Amino acid sequence: MVLNIGPQHPSTHGVLRLKVKTDGEIVSEITPIIGYLHRCFEKHCENLSYEQVIPYTDRCDYIASMNNNFGYVVAVEELMGIEVPERVEYIRVIMAELNRIASHLLALGTYGLDIGAFTPFLYMFRDRERILDLFEMTCGARLLYNYMWVGGLSHDLPVGFVEAAYDFLDYFEPQVKEYNDLLTYNKIFIERTADIGVLPAEVAINYGVTGPNLRGSGVAWDLRKAEPYSVYDRFEFDIPVGKGLVGSVGDCWDRYWVRVQEMLESVKIIRQALQKMPSEGDVHAALPKKVRPPKGSIYKRTESPRGDLGYYIISSGKPVPFRIKMRSPAFTALCVLDEIARGWMISDVLAILGSLDIVLGEIDR
Amino acid sequence: MSRYFANIWETVTTLMIGLGVTLKHLWHIRRGYVTLQYPEEKWPRPERKIGFDHDDYNVIRSRLHVDIDDCIGCMKCERACPVGCIHITTVKVPKDVDLGTTSNDTKKRLLVTRFDIDMSECMYCNLCTYPCPESCIYMTGGPNSGKHPIDYEFSEFDRCNLIYRFANVSPEEVERITTSSAKPRTEGVAA
Repeated sequence: MVLNIGPQHPSTHGVLRLKVKTDGEIVSEITPIIGYLHRCFEKHCENLSYEQVIPYTDRCDYIASMNNNFGYVVAVEELMGIEVPERVEYIRVIMAELNRIASHLLALGTYGLDIGAFTPFLYMFRDRERILDLFEMTCGARLLYNYMWVGGLSHDLPVGFVEAAYDFLDYFEPQVKEYNDLLTYNKIFIERTADIGVLPAEVAINYGVTGPNLRGSGVAWDLRKAEPYSVYDRFEFDIPVGKGLVGSVGDCWDRYWVRVQEMLESVKIIRQALQKMPSEGDVHAALPKKVRPPKGSIYKRTESPRGDLGYYIISSGKPVPFRIKMRSPAFTALCVLDEIARGWMISDVLAILGSLDIVLGEIDR
Repeated sequence: MSRYFANIWETVTTLMIGLGVTLKHLWHIRRGYVTLQYPEEKWPRPERKIGFDHDDYNVIRSRLHVDIDDCIGCMKCERACPVGCIHITTVKVPKDVDLGTTSNDTKKRLLVTRFDIDMSECMYCNLCTYPCPESCIYMTGGPNSGKHPIDYEFSEFDRCNLIYRFANVSPEEVERITTSSAKPRTEGVAA
């Protein structure tokens, strides 16, 4: 039997359609059908100047816009050879890590929702709200920021941001224990996720799966450590990997658990960044008069909450890019779904899909 | 057999732990920690005294507003807009016509006959407010609340009403100003 899940199904995290071939209740093949959210991001960029692309990168992975901005501006800056002031780098790291926490909170909350746990979803959204408040305080926007510019930031941090950020971190760290009590170690949740949808490390690497999904399979690969960009080499943090605490390595629970641990690592990074950040500095100091990179191309990848986010930019020396290609980590995560969901029940497919944490805005672009 | 009972025991204990968390929150419920009934009650508008000068930063995203008296028609905002929701038309005026100055004492050389912003197309990226040399286009509220109060709820029944027309000269006035000189010299600059 062929069963269609989506494109308007609440568990597909956006407008994704899954064509599921089933044998009774056992899934024999899954074909993800994408493109419902296609907005011609890459083609559209060829008609926009380099600064005007930034608000469009916001809209790719709309849950972690800061990280998308970050990857793009780092790529353009390297192409142009701009040295960014130290304060700007630290602010960028703080924003990116805050957004990573917000993104993981949403991923975990909706994952619980997919499996039937409603309460953790509300708790996590309540805390995500506080991060969004911090962003609103900083740049006025709550979701699509356009905060990072090529060579700087749109504004400096507002007065009182550092205190508010410390307040949030002090509040947030004990909350993680609450999530663990509510969801992580809940027996029903463990029964639904442990040993389900095991993603072996070789399969993950062959498919190009990155980010928490790869780390859940036990591979300690994090671009912030492996290829440090910006000022990430100055912070001390660990790379949490899946250990198979309740099932086997690389199951849904491991991918979930890696995200929980990553939020704590992000808290560590933000604390260090807030301490080390120079208190003075003009965030507009390195802004180029005209963003006009020399002829050439660059591929730069950064660690977004979903994995390796790469931007391949070809410049023909004009104020508009010749070509921008975005490598989406969520796309590769969706590709591996068929491989790991075969042989499981229909209800497990949704559990596996939720654990991969895909964002359709980024897959379709 | 023992595994069977262990499973039941684990299920009950972890459920109880989870319920304990929710119960703790139930005891600590306070007034004001409930959903606001939106149209009747609203969140208090955030205090935005954040130590910024409007000339440097405009930290808010809401409805765009133009102080048309300060506009010199340089079209920088139109070029900066990624979606093209700003449309400006300017007309050159004869040399002897004085259009006045802006609040920054810049002499206005072009007559702005059309300044339309389609707010239904706007994506609130804030890119148009930075290049403005006269800081006359801005998002309402925040540091600008002295000039224009914040307005988040600018809903309309007709979509056409979301096109804001800021230019305040009528076609007759344009005609009168451009032909007032002895040597008429009308040149329309297309937007």
